[in-house]
This record gives sequence, structure tokens and C-alpha cells, in this order.
Amino acid sequence: MADATVVKPDLDFVKGVIAAGGESLKKCYQCATCSVVCNLTPDENPFPRKEMVWAQWGLKEKFQGNPDVWLCHQCNDCTAYCPRGAKPGEVLGAIRKQTIKQYSSPGVLVDIVNNKSLMPLIFLLPAILIGVILSVMGTFKIHDGEVIFAKFAPTIFLQAVFTPALIFGLAVGIMGMRRFWDDMKRANKAFSGDLNGSIVAMLKEFLSHDRFKKCGVSADRSTSHLLVFYGFVAAAIATAIGVLYIDVLGMESPFRFGYGTPVKIFGNLGALGIIAGVLFMMSNRFSNAEKLGAGSYFDWLLISVIAIVGISGFLAQLLRVAGVAPIAYPVYFIHLVFVFSLFIYLPFSKLAHMFYRGAALTFLKYSGRETQ
Amino acid sequence: MEKKYGVYLCKGCGIGESVDIEKLKKRAALKGKVPAELIKEHEVLCGPEGLELLKNDIKEGVNTLIIGACSPRAKTEEFKFPGTITERVNLREFVAWTSEPMSADAQSLADDYMVMGIIKAQKGDLPEPTILPDLSSTILVVGGGTAGLSAALEAAKAGYQVVLVEKEAELGGWGAKLYKETPRQHPFEKLEEPKVFDKIKEVESNSNIKVYKSSVIEKTDGQPGLLDVTIRKNGNSETVKVGAVVMATGWKPYDPSKLEHLGYGKPNVITNVQMEEMAKKGKIIRPSDGKEAKKVAFIQCAGSRDANHLPYCSSFCCATSLKQAKYVREKNDDAIAMIFYKDIRTPGQTELFYKNMQNDPGVLLTKAEVTGISDGLNGNLYVEADNTLLGEKIKVEADLVVLATGIVPSTRAPQEYLDGLTEAGKKGDEAKKVYLESTQKPEFILNLAYKQGPEIPTLENAYGFADSGFICFQYETRRTGIYAAGCVKQPMTMADATEDAAGAALKAIQSVEHVAKGIAVHPRAWDVTFPDPLMIKCTSCKRCTEECPFSAIEEDEKGTPFYKLNRCRRCGTCMGACPERIVSFKDFSVDMVGSMIKSVEVDEDEFRVIVLACENDAYPALDSAAIKRIKLNHKVRIIPVRCLGSMNLVWVSDGFSRGIDGMMLLGCKYGENYQCHFIKGSELANYRFSKVKETLDKLQLESDRCQLVQVAINEYDKLPQMINDFVERIEEIGPNPFKEF
Repeated sequence: MADATVVKPDLDFVKGVIAAGGESLKKCYQCATCSVVCNLTPDENPFPRKEMVWAQWGLKEKFQGNPDVWLCHQCNDCTAYCPRGAKPGEVLGAIRKQTIKQYSSPGVLVDIVNNKSLMPLIFLLPAILIGVILSVMGTFKIHDGEVIFAKFAPTIFLQAVFTPALIFGLAVGIMGMRRFWDDMKRANKAFSGDLNGSIVAMLKEFLSHDRFKKCGVSADRSTSHLLVFYGFVAAAIATAIGVLYIDVLGMESPFRFGYGTPVKIFGNLGALGIIAGVLFMMSNRFSNAEKLGAGSYFDWLLISVIAIVGISGFLAQLLRVAGVAPIAYPVYFIHLVFVFSLFIYLPFSKLAHMFYRGAALTFLKYSGRETQ
Repeated sequence: MEKKYGVYLCKGCGIGESVDIEKLKKRAALKGKVPAELIKEHEVLCGPEGLELLKNDIKEGVNTLIIGACSPRAKTEEFKFPGTITERVNLREFVAWTSEPMSADAQSLADDYMVMGIIKAQKGDLPEPTILPDLSSTILVVGGGTAGLSAALEAAKAGYQVVLVEKEAELGGWGAKLYKETPRQHPFEKLEEPKVFDKIKEVESNSNIKVYKSSVIEKTDGQPGLLDVTIRKNGNSETVKVGAVVMATGWKPYDPSKLEHLGYGKPNVITNVQMEEMAKKGKIIRPSDGKEAKKVAFIQCAGSRDANHLPYCSSFCCATSLKQAKYVREKNDDAIAMIFYKDIRTPGQTELFYKNMQNDPGVLLTKAEVTGISDGLNGNLYVEADNTLLGEKIKVEADLVVLATGIVPSTRAPQEYLDGLTEAGKKGDEAKKVYLESTQKPEFILNLAYKQGPEIPTLENAYGFADSGFICFQYETRRTGIYAAGCVKQPMTMADATEDAAGAALKAIQSVEHVAKGIAVHPRAWDVTFPDPLMIKCTSCKRCTEECPFSAIEEDEKGTPFYKLNRCRRCGTCMGACPERIVSFKDFSVDMVGSMIKSVEVDEDEFRVIVLACENDAYPALDSAAIKRIKLNHKVRIIPVRCLGSMNLVWVSDGFSRGIDGMMLLGCKYGENYQCHFIKGSELANYRFSKVKETLDKLQLESDRCQLVQVAINEYDKLPQMINDFVERIEEIGPNPFKEF
């Protein structure tokens, strides 16, 4: 039997998936109901049935360059229809976490970031960092007079601390994504294709969330995700305008402009989108918890961070306008800590899905498994 | 008994509206030769008034009652009059509910049925039970494993003396050789200590149970209630008298040396039996170097569900492997247990244990067709498998391979030996002699001194498991008073065997109690009649001794058959077999049924078809059809028989020579999954039926005029149509030319 694949079960991998939120993994008895009800899977070699048995057998190498776990958007149709309560949706989520760990370096940060007992620490560290720098700069206090956040965190501070954090996050993520891309090519023996076309097709699909909308039992999730995503886009545009004015044109900070100006419109729309989207996500998860599972710590960590970022940002603005300095500055500080966390933990938290899912969806077209 | 007749017609349940009772009375009186004043009618015979009427008449001396009312299968308590001959005529189901009310056809049907009932009562006699002297109610249990111990305890607790014979030096069987047992209690997670040791203690301390260890049975002679069992222990023989037997002789593991294709023979390939031994000793190690095994592969159905080995499922191997996987995991949390299965089969609540084991991260399961075991490095092995759930052919390293081998019933080896002997015997005395000399005789179990062979017959094509009325009556073997329990009958778990043993013990108790009352055992458990041959006419043709499904007829030294009555189940197969027609029961005989057939009114321009219906399946099916008011062709006359095996060919010539146009014989399903209450009756009827053509040829009649059909009780909805179609066929053939004579 020359063509037999030698498989090497790895008990630690199994235990890892279970620990990462896939505690129902072993319940699967391979009936394949999940693959049948999934609206998102390609017809050939559908997921998630095969991923379930690979994970049960601890076949780590099967997940090396496996795009399918990222094609899954965790609609949880599979989980809703699973006759054994094996929750394939949750399990695939746990496997994705294992992939993020595998490709992000240092991978151990994934575990640290996602270790429940270390939670205070992972936010305390950025808080201390920001606090110490601002203290050294002498701005870490409640300023008198009109509430102006630039007094508390000067532009130069933001440029020096937040820009590198974001660049670090993006760089680690992109490096991981590249490794993942190469692995996908190797594992699927797809070495050539229309890369640009695939990226365009992926982006089109992504911007409309067309794929996500195919979800059955939790169709609302695409709406909430869309809100959060465009919220961030709007916030990014507002930030970009800021960067344009301050760094490129060397002009006055546009954030002090009136509410009718683009920077304010984008900023506030972004904040409202993020807040509304994230609250919608939470309510979805709670209402579907019994049927689909409420999600893992990994999921909730990201949701919470985004919620705090959005709410603290918006609240800081209200307090600023209201002129309640004693509360406005601490809230702004919290906002800074969580935005920093979002950036720095970008490749290690669930947010890293933007890289891997993006790559996998592109690969789907690139490899010709799904036509563009 | 001097008969004093009473004929009663019930008008209830639509009978009064279907037939003219006055006409019926006249006809019955005329044709049945009964004085008209003895024929009474009542609106509701089974009601208090009606029953009062019957009881008063009985008080007045009526002792032979012919009751034209509902089916004899209905109202059995109401119409039970001990000390009388009570003949029930089925006017309700076969006339009122299945034919056109107040038609000439319904009237003639009722006439014929009433006359047949009267004739049957006239020809019959009041049966008296035969109770043989010096009966024993002791129960012999053969085999001291889980099933045997359980049966012994159940019988002893019910107050019966028990003799328990175990071939090994210690009681306990396989149950005592286990390290742990599969959980039987919620939540089916924790392995349990073997329970058999408590049972052994209980058995050994029970004063009702006498235990013979290291003992075998040399000979079993006699009949239920009077079985002389010779037990040999340490070279000494002792004969004990028992009433009934529970046979719980269990199983042997399938011979693993036949599993070379699965690697047996390599040092690190063992069987599930060896795995138990190893776990009991302590660590799970590789036999080759004594190192702890960390990657253990279990190959399910090793030699099972495989046409080249054991074609059946042994029922417990899946649970056993899951249990042994737990041994591996409990002894080392870094170890993995891989299970390659055809299908996981965990019957009953073992399913919950399976689910629990599946949840263990170190228990890896896949459906697979194991194609081979090859050598790896350092004594490791590669399990190669195709059609796996992983979607490809795989090869996985293991340091220990466990073959989940199945069971072979202890009855198989003797049966194979005896089959071989029969085959050789067919080739002549010389071949038989060669066979006896060249073949090693396996251990026999019961060594019955019975005409039809020394062991329990096993079911054909069932791989040596004891034959029982499997579909309906699991415990009944083909030797009356001997009940199979546990894995000798079918593969089962210990939990199932424990329950099974209780059932078998109860059947054994029923057997000794019935024998003490002179009544038949199952399935005619009420019957006090017995075959009463007119021996003066016996030609010693031995057809009866050969055909009796239960080996109830022996031959004396002159070759003359005689009955071992307590072995008889009263099916009447001997009555059907006897060419001299000398076998009769008090209420069922060749002459009786023949006379009933001949009594049917045959008109020149009317067709008449006789249906002989087996009482066990066909007759209740006809009743059921009637309850559904499915119309039956009015040309049909139904006569019940105890078993189609009791059908004597003379009835066919009786019918046709009298001008009956067609005859249909309804028996039970036979062959694999047979439903015949008397196991062989229907099959024998079919064999005899092949001779019907000769009979019809002699009469120069078309052989199509007689048809034999097997029906199951659940085919009641189709049965009337089958009969109606047959009548139509007969009509196509045309009237019986003998009508004119």
C-alpha cells in the first residue's frame, strides 16, 4: 500500500484544541451533518467534518496550510444541527486559534494573551507603559480648563507609541499570513494562479459580506460584523485625515474642527458603528448561546476589547464636550490603553483572523477551488 | 365418558343479523344428527345470562358442548368449562364478519362450520393428563460462568434444588478472568470490579445449590422431570436425577492463529483475551521488550463479520475494546488508544459508555478496513487501513496491537463433529469408520442418550449457536426441558447474559411444574392431551422417530417406537408423518379432521375450497383479518390444525375424492428466521407436500388444486386476498370431476 498516508497522532494537539474552546470536539461521530448543512463550504472536500476527525486524531500537520478552517465564518449552522452536540463551529474556532498560534511569532503570546488568569496583566502592562511615558512627559494628570485630550496625550506621544504598536501588529500579522500562504500553496499543491484577480474578488466579496450573509441560523452575525468593520473603516478614515493634516500637511489637528467636518462625521459614525455592532454581537451570542454556544474566551476577549474601545472613545468625547475633566481624562486613558492593546495584540488575538481569513479566501479563488 | 350433547348458538356480535338462526338450527340437527331440542340460542352467550344457561345445562349433565359463537381465540375465560368437551365454532369471525349478511352463502358457511364442530365433538374424547411417577423438580445448570451462576441463583431463590456443573476447577467463567468490567451503572464512566466473584460466593453458600467443579456430563438420559444425568468428577461418576436443564456453557474465543493477516504471530500483536490477562497483571507492555505501550491500536471485528471467519457480530467486543482503551489511558495519560472499527456496536446502555470513552482525548476512533499490519522500527508496527474516516488510506504507528476477536459458541465444535459424522455416514460404513478414527472428538456437553443425537441441535446456518424458536421463543431449544442461556445461544454482554439466565431459569421451572401436572410445555402450555398411538398397527417404519422435531420418540431394542412423553410438545408432527395413521390425540386425529373435511356440503354447481390453517400464525391472522372486516371468499372452509406438520396426506385425498375443488395449506415461515412454533413442522409439511402431486396424479387431478403457503401472523392483511386469489385459480381450473360421484 504505497499510497497510504502516514499519520502521526499528537495527543497534545488534541488537548490543545479542547483547551482552546473545543471541549466538544471528541463528541463528533462523523455523520457529516455539519458538512451538509454548511452554506459556506465548497462542494469538494467540504468542511467541517474532515477537520473534526483530523483534530480528534491530533493530526497537526493536516492543519498546516489548511485554508478550510478559515473559510468557516462560524455561522454555527453545523452546531445547531449536530446530533451529538459536537459543536463543530466552536471546534473550528478553537482550531483557528491554534493556527494563529502556529503562525504568529512568538506564538506563545497567543497563549499569554488568551490566558484568562493573566487578563489583568495584559491590560495592566500597556496601562503602566502609557502611564509611565505620559508621567515622564508630565502630562499624566487631570488638566484644568477646557478638556483637550492633546494636553493629556500629545500628538508626538501618539506618533511615537501608537504608530509603532500598529506597525508591529500589522507586521507580525502579515509575516504570519505570508507563511500561511506558502503553506497553503505547498499543502494544496497550488503554485500558480491569478493573485491580483483573486485579491480583488476576495475584497469584493468581503466588502459586501456576501459570503458571511450565507449563514443560516445566525445570519444576524454578518450585520453586526459589517457594522463593526465599517465602524473601524470610518474611524480609520478619521485617523487618516488627522495624519494627513498633522503629519503630511503639517497643519493644525483637524480633531478640533466642528461637528460638521468630515473628520468628526467619520469619527463619530465609526464610533457609533463599532458600539452598535459590538452590542449586537453580544446580544446575538447571548440569545444563541443555548443553541450554538456562547463562544470561547478567545472570542469574548476581542469583543470586550472592541466594546471598551468604542464605548470609552465615545464617552470620552461626551465628557470632553460636557467639560467633566475629572472623569474625561481617566476615560480617555482607558481608551488609549485599549486601543494600544488592540494594536499590539492584533496578531495574537482573534483579530488576527483578518490576515488568515483574508489569505484563505484569496487562496480559495487563487487555487481555483472556487471560481471567482 | 358417556356424552351428553348441548349445542349453543350465540346471536351476538352480528351473528344473529348474518345468518338465519332457525335454519341453522334445523340444518345442524339434521346433518349433525343432534336432537333439535338440544340446540339452543342466546342473544349474548358470553354475557351473565348466557353463561348461566350454559352452566345450568352442565349441572344438568351436559358434558359435550358445541358453542357456535366467536373465535376460539376469544372469550377463552368465559367459555372454559373444565371436565367437559367444549368445541368452539367460529361463526363470528369466519361467517358474520367476513361474508354477506343473510345471504345463502353465509347460511351455508355457518351450516358447514356448525356441522364440522359437532363432528369434532362427536369424534373427540375428554383428555386426561398423564403424570409420570417419581418426577424430580431439581434444575441442572450446565456451566458456571455469568449466565450459569445467575440461572442457578434465580432457580435456587425460587425454591428449587439446583445442581451446577462446571468443567473448570473454579467457578466464574470469563467474568472471573477480567481485570475490570464495562460499566453497567449511570453515568457509565467508571470501570467496575468484576461482579462474578460475589455471585460465586452467593452460589457456594446457597444450600439449595450443589456445585460440581472440574466435572463433565457423561450422559443425560430420560425426559423432563425424569432426567438421569451422569456427572464425572475426578474419574468418579455419579448419577443425579433432575427435572430440567439450563444450558449455559458459553463460548470460546475465536482461534487467533487464523488471523495472520492481522499480524497475529508477531510478538506485539495480542488478542483482547491476552489484553485482559496483561491488565490484570499490571502494566500494559509490549511483549517483545517489556516496555510500556504508549500507542495501542485496537482492531475491531478481528475475524468477525467476515465471511472467511465468523460471519456474525459478537456483540460485546466493541465495548470490551473501549474498556481496554480505558486501561491504556488510566495507566498512562500520555498514551493513546486507537480503535479501528467496522461499526461501533455497543448495544443497550453500553452506548453511553461509548460516548464517554469517545470524549477521552486519547481515545482515537475511526471506521476502517484494516488491510494489514507491517513491521516498523524497534518492534513497532504499522497499522494500514483503507476506507477510513480520514478520507484516505492511512498508515499509523503502534507499539501494541490488540485484536478484538469474537466468540465461538461451545456447541459449535460438537455440532461440526456430528455433521461430519453424518456426512461420512452417508458415504457408507467404511467412510464413517475412517472419519471416527481420523477426527479428534471434541468435548461434548450434554451427551444426550436421545435417538436424534447427543447434543442440542444448532440452527442451520447459524454457526453453531443452539437452535431455539429464535423469533418468538428464545429459550426453547429443540430438546424439551433444556433451555439455553447466555452466549451459547447468541453473543451477548454479561449484563444481558445475567437477565437471559433469569429467563432460562424460569422456563426450566415452568417445565418441571408443567410436567408435574401432565401438561405440555411451551407453546401448547395448557394442553393435557398426548399422542396416543394404536401400536398394534405400527410397522416400525421410524418415520415418526426421525421427523419429531424434539426427539420425543425413541425405539426399543426391536426398533419399535415409543414416546418419551414429557419430551413431547404435542405438535402432532408424528400424526402427520405416520403412513398408517395410527397416532391420535383425544381432541385431534386423522379421522377427526378427515371426517370434518368430508362433511362439507358439496354442490355440483358450487366450488368448495378447504383451507387447513396452522393454529399458531395463520389462524390468528385470519381472525385479525376478520376483525378488520376483510371479506373472505364464501367458498372457503377453514379447518385449524395444531401445526402444519400434523397434516396427514390422507386429508388431501379425503377432500378431493369427496369433490372438494381445491385445498390450501397455510403454514408458518420456515428456514432462516423461521417462525414455526414447532421449529420443523412447517418445513416437514413442505417436504410432504412434494408428494401431494403423486396423490393428485393418482386421482387424475391438476396438481394446482392444492397449494401450500407460508404466512406470518403480521401478513393478516394480505392473507384474505391470497386465499381469494387461490379460489379464483381453482375456478379457472374448473370443478372437481369427482363431484358427480
